[in-house]
Amino acid sequence: MIRPRHRAFSLGRIVAITGNTLTELTRLKVFYVLLLFALVLIGTSIFMAQLTFQQEFQVVKDIALGAMSIFTSLLAVVTTARLLPQEIEDRTIYTILAKPVPRVEYLLGKLLGVLLLLALSIIAMGALFFIVLYLREQTVLYETTRQMSTAPPEQMADALRAVRASAFSAGLLPGIAIIYVKACLLASLTLFVSTFATTTVFTTVVMVFVYFIGHLQGIAREYWLQNNSAGWITKSLLALVALLFPDLQLFNRTDDIIAGNAIPLALFLKTATLGLFYTGFYLLLAWSLFFRKEL
Amino acid sequence: MMRVFVVLISVALFGVAKLPAEHALAKAHRDLHFRDVDFNLGLREQIGQLGFVAALSGFRSLVADGLFIQAHVAWERTEWGRVLLLFRQVTTLQPRVILFWDMAAWHMAWNASTAAINNPAQPRLALRIKAQREYFALGKDFLERGIRNNPERPQLYEALGRLYRDKYIDHEHAAEFFGKGAALPEAPSYLKRFAAYELSQCPGHEREAYDRLHALYASGENERLPTLLRRLKEMEIKLDIPLDQRIPDRLP
Amino acid sequence: MSEPAVAVIGVTKIFPVPFQRRSVVALRDLTLRVSPGQIYGLLGPNGSGKSTTLKIILGLVPPTKGRAEIFGKDSNLVASREAVGFLPESPYFHKYLTGEETLRFHGKLGGLRGAALKNRVEELLALVGLTNARKRRLGGYSKGMLQRIGLAQALVHEPALVVLDEPTAGVDPAGAGEIRDLILHLKERGITVLLSSHLLGQVQEICDRVGILANGVLVREGALDDLLGIENQTELVLENASPELLGEIETLASKRGARVLDRRRPRTSLERVFLEATESPREQTRRDTP
Repeated sequence: MIRPRHRAFSLGRIVAITGNTLTELTRLKVFYVLLLFALVLIGTSIFMAQLTFQQEFQVVKDIALGAMSIFTSLLAVVTTARLLPQEIEDRTIYTILAKPVPRVEYLLGKLLGVLLLLALSIIAMGALFFIVLYLREQTVLYETTRQMSTAPPEQMADALRAVRASAFSAGLLPGIAIIYVKACLLASLTLFVSTFATTTVFTTVVMVFVYFIGHLQGIAREYWLQNNSAGWITKSLLALVALLFPDLQLFNRTDDIIAGNAIPLALFLKTATLGLFYTGFYLLLAWSLFFRKEL
Repeated sequence: MMRVFVVLISVALFGVAKLPAEHALAKAHRDLHFRDVDFNLGLREQIGQLGFVAALSGFRSLVADGLFIQAHVAWERTEWGRVLLLFRQVTTLQPRVILFWDMAAWHMAWNASTAAINNPAQPRLALRIKAQREYFALGKDFLERGIRNNPERPQLYEALGRLYRDKYIDHEHAAEFFGKGAALPEAPSYLKRFAAYELSQCPGHEREAYDRLHALYASGENERLPTLLRRLKEMEIKLDIPLDQRIPDRLP
Repeated sequence: MSEPAVAVIGVTKIFPVPFQRRSVVALRDLTLRVSPGQIYGLLGPNGSGKSTTLKIILGLVPPTKGRAEIFGKDSNLVASREAVGFLPESPYFHKYLTGEETLRFHGKLGGLRGAALKNRVEELLALVGLTNARKRRLGGYSKGMLQRIGLAQALVHEPALVVLDEPTAGVDPAGAGEIRDLILHLKERGITVLLSSHLLGQVQEICDRVGILANGVLVREGALDDLLGIENQTELVLENASPELLGEIETLASKRGARVLDRRRPRTSLERVFLEATESPREQTRRDTP
C-alpha cells in the first residue's frame, strides 16, 4: 500500500469525529428532551384554547420559544460537559489521539458533533411548533369564517387577516436562528471550561453561573460604561463581568419578534456574527488549554 | 499556572475587543424599540424574587404570560384591584406586546368601569360615577403608555379612539386618534372611515368632515357603506351643498 | 545502524500535586531504544512509570525534560503518530459501536477511505478472529474480544510500530495466548512491538528484549537470553533415562570437573493444564486464518 502523506488538516478526520460524536449523543437518549418539548407545547396549546385567539397564540409562541431556548441551552451544556471526561474515562481519547489526529481537529470534530445535534433538535422543535401553530390557526380561521358568514366580505377579510397576522410569521425564523446561535456559543464555552475542569459536575455548575451572569452582563456593562459615581471596587467588579462574560441577553430576541416587531436583516446578521465569533473564540481558548493537556 | 494566566488575559482582551460591538448591538436593538425592560427594585418587589430572576435570565415573556393568566383568573373573579396590579406588571415586562396594553385598557375602561357603576355595595350614585370615571382614566392611561412604547402600531390608537368615542363620548378626541392610527402604514382601512364619522359629529368641523367623507366616497364602491352614505347626506344638508353636487340617492 | 523505532532520550516527568507544594517524579532521566523488528517488553510493578513512558512516546503527555521520537520524528509532532498504533490499558471504546464500526472509525482517523478502508477492515477482522462478531456492539464483547478489537484498531493504518499497554491484563489464559500469538504474528510481518506488562511470565515467552522500570528508573535492560541465562549452568532434559544411566552421567561429569546441582522431574505448567482442559469450545477457526 502506498501511504499518502500525512496532512496537517483533514476534513475527513473531522467529519469522522463529528459523526462519531453525533452517534454517541443520539444514543444517549437526549431526544427525550424533544418529547418533553412536545408535551409542553401541546399541553399549553390545549390549555390556552380557552383564551381569545390573540392571547392563545401569544402564550403558545412565548412558551414554545421559551422552551426551545431553555432546552437547547440545556442540551448544549449538558452534552458538551460530559464529552471529554467520558472519553477519558472510556480511554477512547487515547486511541483517537494516538492516531495522526491533531488535537484541534479532535476538539473541532467534537464541537461540530454537538452543534449538529443542537441543529437537529431545534429543527425538530421548530417543525413541531409550526405544525401546532398551523393547526390552531386553521381551526381559528375555520371558526371565524363560520361565525362571520353573514358579515360583509371586507370585514371578514380583515378578521381573517388578523388571525393570520397573530399566528405564524416568517419573523419567527430569525428568532429561532438566534436561539441556535446562543446554544452554539454555550456549547463552545462549555467545551472550553471542560478542558480544565476535573469533573462534569464542576463544568455544569460553572456553566449555570455563566448563564445567569451572562444575562446580567448587559446591565453591568451599561452601568459600568455610564455610571461614574460608583466606587472603584464596584466599577472593577462591573468591568470584570463586562469583559469576561458574553452578553447573552443580546441573543434573546424572540420576545420582540413575537410582539410583532420584525428584526431587520442587518441587525440579525450582526447578532449572529457576534455569536459565531464567540463560538470560535472559545474553541480557540479550549484548544490553547487542550493543546498540551496531559491525558 | 502560566497558561491559566495567559487564558485569562486573552479572555479579557477579547472582552475589550467585543465590548464596543456588544454595546453597539444592544443600542441598535434599543433604538429599534426593542426596548429592554428597565429592571428596577420596584418591579423586583412586584413580581417576587423568583420571577425577577426568571425575568432576568431570558424568560421575561414566560413570566409575563404567567402573570397575564393570573390576571385572566382575577378578572373571572372580578378582583379589579388585582387585575390592575397584574396588568401593570405584565405591561412593564412586555411593553412591546400590543395585546397586553389593549387587554389591560379594555378590562379597566369597559369591564371594571361597568362593575363600578353597577356596584350594589355603593348606594350613592355620585360615588359610583366617580369610580367609573377613575376606571376610564386607568384604561386611557394604559393606552397612552402603550402608544408611547409602540408609536408605529395602529391598534392602540384605534383602542384609544374607541375609548373616547364610547366611554367619554368625546368625538373630537376619538376622531384625532382614529386619524392618527389611520395614518400608519399597517392601519386597517376602516380607521379612516371611523375618523371621518367621528369628525362629522363634532360641531364646527362639518366642512372638514364633508371633505373627508366625500373623498372616501369618491375613492370607490368599496367605501360606499350605508353609514358613510348616511353621514355624507347629513353633512350635505348641514352645509347646504348645491343639489347638483350632492351624491345620488340610492335606488329604492 | 538503522534508525530506532522508538527513542526515549533523557526523559524526566514530574507531575505536580495540585494545591500542594510537593510533586511526584514519575520518570527520572530515562533513556530507551527499541530497534525495528523487535518485541520489546517494558516491565515493572504498578506505578513504576510504564504507562507514563508509553504516553510520552505517543505524545499524549509532554515530558518535563528530554524528548521522545518515533522513527526519528519528535513525539510532540502529530506526524509522528502516522507510524504508530496504540492499544491502551483495558480499553472500553465506544460501547454503542459495533466491532466493524469501531474499525471503520479508526481507519478514517488514520486517513483510509473507500475501498481501501473496507478491505483493511475485512482483513483485520479476520486477523483478530472477530469476523463473526463484527455486527455486535462492543458493549457485549468479552474482555479478550475487546483486547483483540483494540489490537485491530491499533493496526488499522498499517503502522510500523504498535504500542500495547498491558495487552494481556485481565484476560484469561486462553485469550492471553491468542493475543501472544497475534503479537508474534506481527513480528513475522516486520512490525515492531513495544509492550508493557507486570505479568512477567507472559512477557518472557515472546519478548526479544526487556527493560525493567522501578520508581521511574530503568534498572535493568537487555536481550531476554542475556538477562535470564545463568552463564555457567546448562539444563539437560532426558526421556526414558534409567537410574543407572543417570548415575553414569553424574560420575562422568565429576570426572570432567563439572557438578550436577539438581535432579528433578520437569513439570507441565498449570497454564498448560488449564488450556488443555478448556480448549475445545473456543473459536477454533481463527487460528486457521492468515
